[in-house]
Amino acid sequence: MYRILVYIGAALLLLGAFAFGVSLWEGPTAWHTDVRTFWGIPISLFVLWIGLAHAGTLISAIFLALGYPLGRRTSMVAELSTLCSLAVAALFPLVHLGIIENFYMVVPFLDARGNFSNLRSPLVWDFCCISVYGLVSLLFFATHLFSEKFPDLKKLIRPMAWLLFPLVLWVHTIVSLDFAVTFVPQWRGAFFPLYFIAGAIYSGLALVIILLTAEHCRVRVLEKLMLGLSWFMAFFWLWEFLLKGSFSFEVVFLGAVVPQLMWLRVIRENAFGRLLVAFSVLVSLGLERYILVTPSEYNAAEYFSWTDLGLVSFSLGLFTTLFFVFRAKFSSLLEGEDVVMGEIVLQQDESDKESEKVSLPEKNDFSILRLPLLLGVLVTLLYVVWAISVENTNLAPLSVVNVVPLCLPLLVLVASFTLCARPLWGISGKRVKVVCAVLAGILGCLAGAFWAGGSSDVPSGAVSVQEIDSTKTAEFIWSSRCAGCHGQDGKFNEKFVREFYPLPQKLTPVRLDTLGEDSLVKVILDGRVNMNPYRGRVSEDEARGLVRYMRHLAGEGE
Amino acid sequence: MDRREFIKACSVVALMQVLWGCRRLPDLSGAKVPEIAEFEREVRLALSRAKGAFDLVQVPMPGPLEVHGASPVNRFGMAIDLDACDGCGKCILACMQENNIPLSSKGERDAGRFMHWIEMHGGAPAMCFHCGNAPCEKVCPTGAASHTPDGLSTMMYKRCTGSRFCGANCPVGARKFNYVDSVKEGLARKFNPEVPLRSKGVMEKCSLCLQRLQDHKHAQMATRPGVEWRGSGLKTACSEACPKNAIIFGNWLDQDSPLVQEAKHRNLYVPREIANLDPSVVYMRGRR
Ligand code: SF4
Ligand code: SF4
Repeated sequence: MYRILVYIGAALLLLGAFAFGVSLWEGPTAWHTDVRTFWGIPISLFVLWIGLAHAGTLISAIFLALGYPLGRRTSMVAELSTLCSLAVAALFPLVHLGIIENFYMVVPFLDARGNFSNLRSPLVWDFCCISVYGLVSLLFFATHLFSEKFPDLKKLIRPMAWLLFPLVLWVHTIVSLDFAVTFVPQWRGAFFPLYFIAGAIYSGLALVIILLTAEHCRVRVLEKLMLGLSWFMAFFWLWEFLLKGSFSFEVVFLGAVVPQLMWLRVIRENAFGRLLVAFSVLVSLGLERYILVTPSEYNAAEYFSWTDLGLVSFSLGLFTTLFFVFRAKFSSLLEGEDVVMGEIVLQQDESDKESEKVSLPEKNDFSILRLPLLLGVLVTLLYVVWAISVENTNLAPLSVVNVVPLCLPLLVLVASFTLCARPLWGISGKRVKVVCAVLAGILGCLAGAFWAGGSSDVPSGAVSVQEIDSTKTAEFIWSSRCAGCHGQDGKFNEKFVREFYPLPQKLTPVRLDTLGEDSLVKVILDGRVNMNPYRGRVSEDEARGLVRYMRHLAGEGE
Repeated sequence: MDRREFIKACSVVALMQVLWGCRRLPDLSGAKVPEIAEFEREVRLALSRAKGAFDLVQVPMPGPLEVHGASPVNRFGMAIDLDACDGCGKCILACMQENNIPLSSKGERDAGRFMHWIEMHGGAPAMCFHCGNAPCEKVCPTGAASHTPDGLSTMMYKRCTGSRFCGANCPVGARKFNYVDSVKEGLARKFNPEVPLRSKGVMEKCSLCLQRLQDHKHAQMATRPGVEWRGSGLKTACSEACPKNAIIFGNWLDQDSPLVQEAKHRNLYVPREIANLDPSVVYMRGRR
């Protein structure tokens, strides 16, 4: 069964891989954009998949945190789907960029030149939130996965769930802010965070229902929840319509009308019926995201090019392949003993609640959260103070509000790693340890490279017609300031200079190189022997320009 | 790790490298350079496809920038005289030549996009309005779009990752994205050696002829040190090119600037979308 699904996934992946390659190669012209639409399909897919990821966390972490645990398999499936969707989602913003290798500039950390990313931008918040979300989800998944073998880990699960719970809501709020803070009329609305969260959970539930059907089991709570959310979404769509007059028949029909079929017993009790409804919800939400991201007057979905479809297929294929490969790999760890494969387990939620309740930690077990939380708060505070006070190249200083979106993710990151690091390190084998050490080393190197910053040379290829030339300015300053003594061509104004003793040295390229640019700049600014100091009359940059001009003159003389 | 796993790992690395290699800049020696006539032709084409007129609202005269760190003596801007402008499009061409703006490829033109920093909106030229409270700069993740103390909304091309968030957030659509590699495609010509050509994947827009301002400032510092620089006597390329003198450049904070002298007696308008973003470029109509 899983093998077939992996093959289907791989086929979709291969079909889409070509489109993916073309998108990398061509950049943003590969997919449909127009005069007003700068973004297109990758961002729609990003929003869709990040939403799908959230439902996984919601189902396992939030239910667990609220003391409503589902069957082990249900939650593991949900968590695995979170991780796979996140991997898919993370690819698309990268593809979307005009210059992919510059993506690191979004990291909110200073480099040696005083460049600091713009913490006012929702994109920076987004980047941080999602990376943290990915890491913490991975940690949660690992803890949960191995807790069967190592009962020590059991007591970590609920505190971790409590850390993840607010993070999910936070992350999707931030994703919605990408749209809601802008000036695009179609994207405005204070209800966007709620709308996005509801949409995310709704589509994510549909995905988990599909995945559970593949496991031959069903969880009724999730179906009820999905049905409930369909009303929520219908309400939001109505609101959008009343507010902005935008309305899409397909979205509302597939997303709000079709799910009502769940009221019918024949549909509900039939695996295919459930699949039909779930798929219809996914299609509806996918379409809705696309329409939202392309704020054009026309229905942009009609302009789908083959690359757009290819990217959709790529994302589906990647998810399916990743999910079922890991599913097969971990299958012994994923399934509890109580679940018999191949049977429809009815009312699973009820029976499983009993079995899991026993293993739930007592209330006072949360005390292990104290130290990590404290550390998290401290680190966050330090970061906020630092980020606000740091000198950077932006004109207006940051205010606290700009940094707030980063606070929770930072706190959760620090807290969850402090919480889990020791127990997980204890149980991990030698190989994992080596890999971790190597990863840490690589991370250190990357941080160093980040601090050094990328090259600021204009790529020579892009300036093929003529070199950039600021010599004009330098020449100007030279003639007005330096030529009096040094001569227009740098070879001294003989008549004038003879009055000085000792005679100044000739400017040869060799001599200029031995003196070095910096010390020559100093000489210009502070003077030496008979040379007057020019500080205040030329700026440091201009002095540097003059030194370069001297080299230019000296080179010409040869 | 056994042999198979090793080979697998190697092929993954190789695949990643191939994908990465796709993004490398191609070798450009021998790229074609377009004729000036082609630029003129494209301007005519753009004029024939003018966009809809803005909904204008009246605003008071721009004052000092309300940003921390802004200069108290300089705020550069322009006023476009709608009574004088006849929409001839000479400013568009002048701007292209001053700033090395590339031609658009056929695909781009079909999608309705030009790289021109000035576009006609219902017969009135519109460039970036250099909003004092610019929404495009707020959303730029890397800080590539930022403000200078003297009121210019600028772009650091090397710092741009091409996320196009700023483009989506400019209410008047003043930002232009380099969707194609114009040098490689033979669409760019370096008229002005002081302005770099932009590579594929970065955003650009009207810079208020930043290079002219810089040169002017340096020249004054060299020739008349100690005199405060207020940009007097300077003109941008578009204002220089206008035969009707309909585009007036100047310093909003300098009472002697031709801009203030003229704008004092006129009604000032800006597009409704950016009316409360404190734009530095305005339209003038009617006398007061
Ligand atoms: S007109 Fe557009 S591009 Fe120019 S400053 Fe305002 S928002 Fe930015
Ligand atoms: S001010 Fe300069 S850059 Fe801006 S539109 Fe005019 S010519 Fe172009």
